[in-house]
Amino acid sequence: MADEDEYGDMGGEGDYEEEPEPDEVLEEEGEEEEEGKERAPGDEPDIEIREGEPDEAAADRPRKTTRFMTKYERARVLGTRALQISMNAPIMVDLDANESDPLEIAMKELRERKIPFTIRRYLPDGSYEDWGVDELINPDMGRRIHNA
Amino acid sequence: MFFHIVLERTMLLHPRFFGPKLRDTLTHQLLQDVEGRCDGKNGFIVAVTNVDPKGSGEITSGTGMVKFPVSYNALVFRPFKGEVLECVVTQVFKMGFFAEAGPLQVFVSNHLIPDDLTFDSTQEPCFKSDTGEWRIQKETEVRLKIVGMRIDATNISAIGTIKDDFLGEIRDDATGT
Repeated sequence: MADEDEYGDMGGEGDYEEEPEPDEVLEEEGEEEEEGKERAPGDEPDIEIREGEPDEAAADRPRKTTRFMTKYERARVLGTRALQISMNAPIMVDLDANESDPLEIAMKELRERKIPFTIRRYLPDGSYEDWGVDELINPDMGRRIHNA
Repeated sequence: MFFHIVLERTMLLHPRFFGPKLRDTLTHQLLQDVEGRCDGKNGFIVAVTNVDPKGSGEITSGTGMVKFPVSYNALVFRPFKGEVLECVVTQVFKMGFFAEAGPLQVFVSNHLIPDDLTFDSTQEPCFKSDTGEWRIQKETEVRLKIVGMRIDATNISAIGTIKDDFLGEIRDDATGT
């Protein structure tokens, strides 16, 4: 799969092909003001201590998993977000006149990096890394730009 | 006895409450859930004084709901064996009477009522002394001592006695028993 090639290039460690699956998807603070902090997309993986982090366990160490959102993460984030939107969650993006499909809205939110989630990636040794959805590079997006 | 303690609770929040007012909703829901309730471990939760949502929530997979750990300060009422309380009598019958100290219901059996007080049901059921000086009926305020408690998961009830010095009917004129 084309995805795997990309990961192989990017992941610092070569020992696994498949990224660990996201075991937990975290809800961020949920407050719109908190969204989109000064995290430039596509930057070097920055090791900042994230606000509202309940556990210091992972916050101090440099993160070493890939900067790309895996297709599994993407699926779970989109699915969860679409479910929430279908349950009347406030939407973080502007909508066109008759945009009403929750999944379409979730995809739009993901494109604009407005999904208020944090992904907790558990590693095989039980430790974890937290990545905001707004920090992760969405491989799908790159492809779209490429094709355009 | 009353205590001011820190308690914790995990709350599930529906997606429709997400947004800038999320914390307000959490606080509101916590008060609704917890105030006035009783749990066997802490006693009756009388009031919540401070709510402190801790960190970010966690999405429960499949439901879209979000779990928030919340810690809060609460004023709790926890009765103890041997504690002396002032209660209002709610019901009097042959076997004894029931009294209430706020949310706590206390039963005083007629074995634990001084022998000189006898049951009388000619008018309103009451316990009274032969001289008619003392009279315990509905709405009377009594001072009693807790001798036993039954603690369930959701309720606490107690057995009390008034067969001791300074226990029994409370009089405004402070003559004492």
